[in-house]
Order: sequence, then C-alpha cells, then structure tokens
Amino acid sequence: MKKLLAATSAIAVLSVSTAWAQDQLSLEGKTIGVAVVGTQHFWDREAFNGATSKVEDLGGTVVAVDGGRDNQVHADNHDVLMNRGVDAVISILGDGSVDPKFEALQAADIPVFSVDHPSPYVVNNTTSDNYYMGTTIGRYMADAMGGEGKVAVFNAFENSLRICGIRTGLWKYVLQDYPEIEIIQPELAEEFANAPEDARRQTLDLLSQYPEGELDAIHVGCWDQPAIGVVQALEETGRTDIIVTALDGGPDTMEIMAEEGSPFVANVAQQPRLIGQTAAENVARYFAGETLLPQTYVDVVPVNGPEEAKAAYKELGYGEIK
Amino acid sequence: MQASARHQRHRLATIVGLLPLIIFLALLLYVGLNAPNFLTVVNLKLVLTQSLTVVLSVIGLSAVVMAGGDDVVSGGIDLSIPATAVLCAGIVAVMTSAGQPVILAAGAALVASMLVGVVNAVLITRLRMAPLLATLAMFVAVVGITNVITERKRLNLNADSIAALRGDIVPGIPLGILLVAILSLLAWFFLHRSKWGLNLQAAGGSRDAAEISGIRVDRLVAQSYLLAAFMGFVTGFFMLARANGYSPGAQDNLMLEMVLATFLGAAFSPRRIVTVWGAILGAVLVAAISIGLKTIGVNVFWTDLIKGALIVIVVALSAISQRVQ
Repeated sequence: MKKLLAATSAIAVLSVSTAWAQDQLSLEGKTIGVAVVGTQHFWDREAFNGATSKVEDLGGTVVAVDGGRDNQVHADNHDVLMNRGVDAVISILGDGSVDPKFEALQAADIPVFSVDHPSPYVVNNTTSDNYYMGTTIGRYMADAMGGEGKVAVFNAFENSLRICGIRTGLWKYVLQDYPEIEIIQPELAEEFANAPEDARRQTLDLLSQYPEGELDAIHVGCWDQPAIGVVQALEETGRTDIIVTALDGGPDTMEIMAEEGSPFVANVAQQPRLIGQTAAENVARYFAGETLLPQTYVDVVPVNGPEEAKAAYKELGYGEIK
Repeated sequence: MQASARHQRHRLATIVGLLPLIIFLALLLYVGLNAPNFLTVVNLKLVLTQSLTVVLSVIGLSAVVMAGGDDVVSGGIDLSIPATAVLCAGIVAVMTSAGQPVILAAGAALVASMLVGVVNAVLITRLRMAPLLATLAMFVAVVGITNVITERKRLNLNADSIAALRGDIVPGIPLGILLVAILSLLAWFFLHRSKWGLNLQAAGGSRDAAEISGIRVDRLVAQSYLLAAFMGFVTGFFMLARANGYSPGAQDNLMLEMVLATFLGAAFSPRRIVTVWGAILGAVLVAAISIGLKTIGVNVFWTDLIKGALIVIVVALSAISQRVQ
C-alpha cells in the first residue's frame, strides 16, 4: 500500500512537473524554418500546420518552405533555410536527398528536428509508432483474408525510407506465420506524387492479370493515398472479391472505409497534427536545455472495419460520419 | 526615308529582343531587395550549386540549337536530355546498389546515353522528323525505360566517388562547381572558337548557305545530338550527387529550367541567338530566381507558373523580335 502510494505520488509529481515544463516552453525570439515535402496530402499538410501553429503559439517566427511533393525540391529548400539563418529547422518527410542537407545544417550549428525521417544528423525525430503500425496491419489483413490467399503490395519505399522499411518489414514479419498467404511478385511501386491516379491505373492492370478468384487482397505498405486509387479501380471493374488495407488513416480514407460494403477493411490512423506539434515542442525543449531522446513516438489508432473507422474519425476530431 | 524606317524597325527589334532580359533582371532585383541574405557569397555558392545540373544540360541543348537553327518548332531542339540524365543516374544507382564498381556502371550508362543520342540523330537527320516531336517522344520513352530499370524506386547512393562531387575540393570551393566551370570553358571553346564550332553555327544560321559552302550539315546536326546525349550522361552523375541517390521524377523540373535557361540566354547575345555562355548564364539566373522566390516565401506552385510564363514570354518576344526585323 505504501509502495503504491509512493508510486502514485511520484506519477503525480511527474505529471505536474511535465505540465509546468509545458507552460514554460517558449520559442520567443527564435526563427524556426519548417520544410515540408508537400502540402497537397492531408498527412503532410496536417503535420506542417501542426508544426507551424505550435511554433507560433510558443512565440517563434516561422519561415516555411514547401517542396510541392518533389523530393529534390524539398531537399534544396533546406539550403534556403540555411541561407535565411534560421535558429532551427523542422523537416517533415523527405527521402535520402535530404541527408546531405541535414549534414550541412548540422555543420552550420543549426539543429534539425525531423518528422518521419530518422537521421544521424538530427537532434530528434518525431514519428508514429511504426513498429506497432506494421504488425497491427499485418494481423488485421491476415485475419480479413482468413489466413490464406494472394496479396499484391504497393511497396515503393521499403528500401529507401526507414519508416516504410519498418512498416512493410514488420507486415512481412507477421505474414511469416501465415504460410498460406502469398505475396505476389514483383511487388508494385507507387508514385510519390499523383499517387491515387497512378495506383488506379496500376490496379486496373493488375486486375486484368489476376481475374476473379485469383487475387484476394491489395495492401499499400507505407501510406494510404494509393489505396484511394485502388478502391476506385475495384469499383470500376466491379470486383468485390478483393480486400484493401493500408496505413495513415486520414479523414479521406476513413470515409471510404466507413462506406457500406467498402473493400477497404483495415488501417492504422496516425495523428499528423500532433506529430507536427510535438516536433515544435521538441525544438523548444531543446532550447530550454533539455536532453531529448533520438526518437519521439506519437500514438496511433488501429482501425478495423467500418464501425471503428467511424469511431476513429470522431475520436481524432475529424467530425462525424453519418 | 526608307532607311530611317528600317533603322527604327531595327531599334524596335533590339528593344523587343532585350525585353526578356529586362523582365528577368527586374525580377531578380525585386527578389534581391526583398529576400534576406540574397546578395551574399553564401547564397551565390548556393545558386551555383543548384544550377549545376541545368548548366550541364544547357550546354548540350545550346549545341543542338546552334546546329539546327533556333526556330523552336522547325529548328534544333533536344528535350530528351533530362531523360538521358535520369537514365544515366538510374543505371548507375541500380548497378552500384547491386555492388558493381562505379566505373563499370558509368560505362553501361555511357553506352545507354549515347544510344539515345544515336536514335535522336537517326530520327532527325535520316527520317527527317521534327526535332521537337522526335525528342519529346524520346523523352517519354527513355523515362519509361528508366522506370523499368529502377522499378521507379528511390535508390540511395553508395558510391563515395560520386558523392564527392558535392564536397569541397579545397575549403570553400566544391568540386562540382570547379568541374562544371572547366566543362563550360571547354564547351565555349569548342562551340564558339574551334573550326567545328564555327561550322556548327554556320549550319544552324543558314542551312542552304552552309551546304553550298561544302559543310556537311546533317553530320554536324547528328554530332550535336550525340554531344547533347553525352551532356545528359554527365548531368546524371551530378543529379546523383545532389540527391544523394536516384529519386524518380527529377527530369520534369530539369526540363523546364533547361528550356527556360537556353532561350533566356539568347537575350544576352548581341544578335539574340542561342549561345553556350548565354545559356549558362541563363541557367545561373534561373537558379537565382528559383531560390529568391522561395526565400521570399512564394508558393511552390506559383514558382512553376512564373517559370512557365517566363518561357512563354522569352520565346514569344524572340519570335516577335525576328518578325519585326
């Protein structure tokens, strides 16, 4: 009993001190560069808005650059931030082309805080619990397939983006325990820009290759914008024998999941706005002299089936699906 | 009276020919005054670094335009250079990722790039296809092949010798800038000072006159497409160094900036014709404008619109200037 009391009071003190620290966080007088790979997609835009609004809430000034969902433009934008002489950079997404830029910023003593891009040149990376996302979507998909059948996977980024390596790698790890599930080779590679339309076309090709009964599932390994195109292609061809799973769970895809008889059966929703806000808070913590861990994980919400899609939609503050 | 009318027309043509430059310099001035830290040495280095791939491809494009004539529709143009560059980058990235030595990968990329040049040359000098269409078709086809080779995936670079292109050779001077400066000087010499270059210009200036004086125009035109393909090959390595690997889609922006820089560069020459040094200067200016617009916070899609509009203005004013003359 004594022990429990001690533990409870310790937790109470801890939470009070966190709350106190939260109030003390400030970016007053600091100029923070925020580079985002694009703002067309919900996820990117939310993370960006979360970061910029939090920087401003904390009294900082934002210098924003948008890559237009072109990885090279996004990487080059970091040079612009360096030239502007910002105090710190929050960098959202991006492929390996940003690493030399992070290195240059570090060399110029400008600390970098990344979102979804772990790198030796950053102070801290804020990201979702990608490990949980990968295994959860693996289990949900295997269950929805009844533990057997063929699955096609859109997997353009497993080897180039670490977060995708974790998500798809762990999805495959789960499938090792389902020997009756076969991943169709070669895997598909989706486009980074124009993903829905590109995935729609690729799915139409896939469906003509695998007639009714020969394909059971289509999974998008790292995000869910391509899944929008996959569902369109299934509807166009009237194929009801195939289920769709993906990751990210923005309002656009959860609305599709909530439709009656939707082929889109499972997802894991992230909290991109909270991720952006957390990255901005981490910048303030860093300037306050706190030592940050290399990674900050933000909780995710598993979404299995239409009812959970409706619930998650509401829980995450996107409104209500009737 | 007639002489004075001609004189006036000539003056009007000169002003119209200079307009793109004036518009561009005004834009640059606006950016320079509004963007913090724009007119600094660090920013100049940044502008040069970001312009390297465009500089290399405009060397190729300006050679083609000089040999084929600067009429955008019927003259020489090679839109396939950015595609050749990504083909080279893709081949090198795939092969080095598979553990092959860089030299072997470079050899394979060179063969593939020169093949693009040969096909362009055959389509244009043998089959007499319009260069604009022929090279646009090649652009699409070559990007397609590149997507097959790379499976349209991002590939990280694991070749230090290529990454060295973005490093400094002596403190403060990146190797890439130095190499491109040397290549630019060589290109200027061969295209503007050598006999071959003068013949090339004669061929583009007036095909008939050149043929009468014994210049083998088709051969020179074919050679210009081979040079363009070679420059695409070189560009590929700088793309790899800049992006620290191969990223799908890099060709689109390069195409836009290459065309803009080359035709903008014509405004620098006294006779408003495409020259190598004009195109190179154009490439640097385009990079400066791009960085400047970003620094003052212009939306990325507006930047594309501005670049597209500038191409229209440059090409239209050059056409008007020629008609007036």
